[in-house]
Amino acid sequence: MITLTNLGKVFRTELIETHALRDVNLQVNEGEFAALTGPSGSGKSTLLNILGTLESFDSGDYQLDGKSVKGLSDAALSKLRNEKIGFIFQSFNLIKDFSIYDNIELPLRYRGLKAAERKQRIERALELVGLHARRDYLPGQLSGGQQQRVAIARAIAGEPRILLADEPTGNLDSLMARQVMELLEQINRQGCTILMVTHDPDQARRAGRNIQIIDGQLHDSTMYDPLAQHTA
Amino acid sequence: MEQLFYYLKVSWFSVKRAPLPYMLTVLILSLGLGVFFSNATFYYRINSDPLPAKSDKLFFPMMLLVPYQCSNCKPPSVLSYSNVAKLNASDIPSAKAAMYSAGGYLRLNAEQAPTPVTVRITQRDFFSMFDVPLLHGSIWPDNQPRDELLLSKATAEKLFGRTDVTGQQVLLDDRLFTIIGVLDQWQMLPKLYDAFNRNYLNPTEDIYLPLESGYDYNYLSNTNSSTFEDADYRKLATDGRTKAIHQLQYWVQLDTPAQQQAYRQFMANLVADEKAAGRHPSAEANQLVMMRDIVSYFDGESGDIKAFAIVTLLFLLVCVFNASHLSLNRYLSNQYEFSLRRALGANRSQLQVQLLVDMGLMSTFTLAGAAIIAYGGIKLMNYLWPSNSLFASWDLQLMLALAALTLLCSYLVTLYPSLRASFGSLNKQLKE
Ligand SMILES: Nc1ncnc2c1ncn2[C@@H]1O[C@H](COP(=O)(O)OP(=O)(O)OP(=O)(O)O)[C@@H](O)[C@H]1O
Ligand SMILES: [Mg+2]
Repeated sequence: MITLTNLGKVFRTELIETHALRDVNLQVNEGEFAALTGPSGSGKSTLLNILGTLESFDSGDYQLDGKSVKGLSDAALSKLRNEKIGFIFQSFNLIKDFSIYDNIELPLRYRGLKAAERKQRIERALELVGLHARRDYLPGQLSGGQQQRVAIARAIAGEPRILLADEPTGNLDSLMARQVMELLEQINRQGCTILMVTHDPDQARRAGRNIQIIDGQLHDSTMYDPLAQHTA
Repeated sequence: MEQLFYYLKVSWFSVKRAPLPYMLTVLILSLGLGVFFSNATFYYRINSDPLPAKSDKLFFPMMLLVPYQCSNCKPPSVLSYSNVAKLNASDIPSAKAAMYSAGGYLRLNAEQAPTPVTVRITQRDFFSMFDVPLLHGSIWPDNQPRDELLLSKATAEKLFGRTDVTGQQVLLDDRLFTIIGVLDQWQMLPKLYDAFNRNYLNPTEDIYLPLESGYDYNYLSNTNSSTFEDADYRKLATDGRTKAIHQLQYWVQLDTPAQQQAYRQFMANLVADEKAAGRHPSAEANQLVMMRDIVSYFDGESGDIKAFAIVTLLFLLVCVFNASHLSLNRYLSNQYEFSLRRALGANRSQLQVQLLVDMGLMSTFTLAGAAIIAYGGIKLMNYLWPSNSLFASWDLQLMLALAALTLLCSYLVTLYPSLRASFGSLNKQLKE
């Protein structure tokens, strides 16, 4: 469902040009769980942001569901982000003075759903991440792991087909990280395609596919045998 | 509707997040607007046209009919009784009235303590020319001297406790007069029939007396009179009528350009005849000033009022600039949230609606703040210059204009920051 061909991205500042990505070719199929790994500054976040249409690219092409995103209007891109893509960030990015419920509601608001429909979807998402009882809490009243689960609930409430996660467990201790990973795996089993940036080799191994970026270039793309995961 | 409340809620949360900078923004903007409002109120009132339907038909003739040589002189703003009599001979105007103001003391009877009153001493056309409304009674049937006067509504109420007092008698400077009429509530703002020397800022008079009686009883003008040669200003009834004692303002109504042209010619002829008769030596310097232009003719539009208006406008600009700077900082520190909303699928127009609601909220607070400050400012101005207090009232039109200005300023204060925020790079803020 995602096809990148010869994609390139250059950041230009007054002093230097950074080739954050060069000649990236990538095919991601529906239902995959792919881990993006690589050293710091190698371009992982940049790639994820381009996939999420938060960032433009300079060369090559990006096709989503067979359609190029090039030249789409702001409204079309926003709609695409809203309906097809869910984001999870390392720093959760919850709005601090909004309740859990209101945070999860955000993408549904922008889709213009009716109140009843929004409510139904939020409840389902809260149920999934196991935080139904805390719907009226503020983010600050939750632990980091719980906050990240709220962010996941927000990302999936709109039932996107792609979930883009940039180091979702980077700020969490190992126990909470495992809970979040299990949650993502559960979501993936329900059919959602997931691309996740991680520095954790264990997590990378658990993902169905491991994509490595070094210095802006897609270095390696290894398929693991899903069965091997369970025996490991 | 529900969506609007949601936007309001989001605005309110962003206010609560950093209340101090927000309050400061609103305060600065309110201050600029409030100071501007109070000055604008005064400026608007002072420059408004009290008789829009007639202000281009009423004229103030002035002639240099003084018994001394004067080259390049402006004619005096007042005329002598005999000059007015000569002008009165013309049938060209559809209405004409000479007038001046004086002071006096009024009481009901000799036992009461007298109260000071302002008196307009004039002729019967005065009331029709300036659309003076009559509540009770009538005006004088002609311009003969008579011991009959009209009261303003407020004066009647003050003296009698009621308004229907025609036929009653009062003592004006201990002479007995009969009240033949009571005016309805009336203020001519500005009072253009008495424009010289900024008298147009004063309220209309308490009492109206026939011109001839004013001369008979020796009422001298309390604003502007000049005496030439051997005339004795204490003998108005005699010298005042025959010699060069100038104290009369004179207004004529000239409805058409033809009438106006004819009257100019009449004035020119009159001056030429007078000169030929040896009654004045100077060259003709006639003026026929439209009521609409009378303040600027007398330079009444003083420099300090204008300078003050410019200063308050500059102050407003400085405030808008500062407020917009503060508001930019606020938006920049909130930009992460913009980016987040964009990432969650908000498009630019949805964010712009949010900003419009932000602006509406800010306008509401600012309008309230500005209204309070403007009210305080007006109170202060009235305290410092009590004579200007007539010009401090607000009407719907003015308030709407001020509200529109507030909206515009709030828009300026939110526009630039909002553009910065919604077109900024999306991903940057989400990383940290
Ligand atoms: N907005 C930007 N302007 C200029 N250069 C940028 C910008 N964003 C990223 N870069 C540069 O592009 C390169 C790739 O950055 P990116 O954030 O994608 O790395 P990363 O792989 O996510 O690193 P990390 O593991 O530390 O998060 C880096 O050299 C970075 O400095
Ligand atoms: Mg990164």
